[in-house]
Amino acid sequence: MIFALSEEQRLIREMVRDFAEMEIAPSAALRDEEERFDRELMFDKLAELGLTGIVFPEEYGGAGADYLSYAIAVEELSRVCASTGVTLSAHLSLGANPIYLFGTEEQKQAFLKPLARGEKMGAFGLTEPAAGSDAGSTRTTAVRDGGDWLVNGTKIFITNGGEAEIYIILARTDKEARKHHGISAFIVEKGTPGFSFGKKEKKMGIRSSPTMELVFENCRIPATNLLGEEGEGFKIAMKTLDGGRIGIAAQALGIAQGALDTAVSYARERKQFDTPIASFQGIQFQLADMATQIEASRLLVYNASYRASAGLSYSQASAMAKLMASETAMKVTTQAVQILGGYGYTREFPVERMMRDAKITEIYEGTSEIQRLVIGASLTR
Amino acid sequence: MNILVCVKQVPDMESKFKINAAGTWYDITDLAWRMNEYDEYAVEQAVRLKEQLGDADLTVISIGPAKVTETIKKALAMGCDRGVHIVDEAVAGREPYEIASAIAAFAAGKEFAVIFTGMQSQDRGSAQVGVLLGEMLSLPSVTTIVDFAYADGTAVVKRELEGGIKARIKVAVPALFTCQLGLNTVRYPTLPNIMKAKKKELLAVPMAELLSVEPRQETVKISFPEKKGSGLILEGDPAELADKLIRILKDKTGVLA
Repeated sequence: MIFALSEEQRLIREMVRDFAEMEIAPSAALRDEEERFDRELMFDKLAELGLTGIVFPEEYGGAGADYLSYAIAVEELSRVCASTGVTLSAHLSLGANPIYLFGTEEQKQAFLKPLARGEKMGAFGLTEPAAGSDAGSTRTTAVRDGGDWLVNGTKIFITNGGEAEIYIILARTDKEARKHHGISAFIVEKGTPGFSFGKKEKKMGIRSSPTMELVFENCRIPATNLLGEEGEGFKIAMKTLDGGRIGIAAQALGIAQGALDTAVSYARERKQFDTPIASFQGIQFQLADMATQIEASRLLVYNASYRASAGLSYSQASAMAKLMASETAMKVTTQAVQILGGYGYTREFPVERMMRDAKITEIYEGTSEIQRLVIGASLTR
Repeated sequence: MNILVCVKQVPDMESKFKINAAGTWYDITDLAWRMNEYDEYAVEQAVRLKEQLGDADLTVISIGPAKVTETIKKALAMGCDRGVHIVDEAVAGREPYEIASAIAAFAAGKEFAVIFTGMQSQDRGSAQVGVLLGEMLSLPSVTTIVDFAYADGTAVVKRELEGGIKARIKVAVPALFTCQLGLNTVRYPTLPNIMKAKKKELLAVPMAELLSVEPRQETVKISFPEKKGSGLILEGDPAELADKLIRILKDKTGVLA
């Protein structure tokens, strides 16, 4: 077992970190305050750096790098701005990856290429008002009409919603089939008649990342936009989320690291009782626990990434990584606020934003409870 | 046209430095490494010149142990065509004359028309390797450039002088330039270019094949500056503070007679 990044992976980390610190970090607090997504900064620039298609082969407009490089990129972006991290993760893991995994060659040429190059942004619509963790309860329908599909229904909490040009959505195509079997996946383009956007969510955290409702009213989708086989939608969604969890785990890892870095530098500067608080064992013990949990999370995230690139099964590994990293992010950011005290509670310092951002990582792309369910089921089946 | 750019791998300046056991250099364990900042300006300018000329061939060279290939690869990812790694485990103890001699031995006869280096390294900071290399290759050296333009065999560059004055220098190539902060904005190596860098030529040459000189100077000891006493903090309302300050300046300095 070799615990070392390759030269390429180290250079990717250095590049993304330099970019994140120089370009993304300066506006992170203000974008959060204004709940503003900056497409040029948070997506177009990532495309210029080749980050929007990291894991896809060059023939589809990607960079041909591995999942670990992808995880490192999301981690480094999220270290300064979790909203930028999730923009990339939702685009790549949820929007583009299902087309790479299940699309026809024509679909890859038409949709994956512009996504990987970052000419278009991707998103994924699974969640509905009555179907969250219980994805089998999808109520959005797609009914055959001649050679097309007519889609009706509503998707909620869609990351990159409104901004993305290409959406993967799940809809019930067979009302008679058992819960999970009658669902299919479709590629829907922004601008398709009958496809509109509902309300924009006002969120606790990741406020610079747009979260919107998708509304389908007799939206006509050509048969060529069916992704995978009819009735295969649930499988596609689960497989997509396995990959997505690596992205969210990496996001959580980055948030936690950002909070620890802030807490350490604050503790070294802040004096109380004429001494930097970093010299107090009470503070050191807290920092030690934070750093240890982060390192454990990092090993799980990198291991899941390694397994995904090596072609090994990674459903359990990515669930463990996401569970551990997201709960670590919540704990570590809360602790960082505590170490910064009153200053940590103000928006002068980034840790309160990190604490708000961390919470979502325990919820989206499978709650912590669902991760435990995935891990438990794979242990006992 | 053949272009050469010389880069050095240095510790990340945010590192916590310790002095090594011999007391002659910093301890190199557990440090993060990256390209010397001034060398990044040099690489960027070299790549821009290559892009301007179209048919130029750009070589990046670095001296050090195995880990410096990472820095060479960064330069390759930024747009250099080929890399040369002078393999030397003892690079940390070399003085500028040895370093310049080794690069000169490699560069001799290869008809480099333009050579870029950083103006100095962020760790040793002698600012000698560039100018020594120019001298050894019998090239004119223009130091600390902040602007560079090239046309028809002539480079026109700007140098920053003391007091904010800038000098415009015209020099026919072949010539060597040492690069200063402000010369350009360094590009990020894109991810696809990082991936492609590993396919570019990277020649390894043992230091022993190039080094034929003896060191002329030796670092005997390095040390951290002694801690000065903490400053004096005055307290009170502004009028009171001003009075206190004037009293101190009168009593303890010659500022107010």
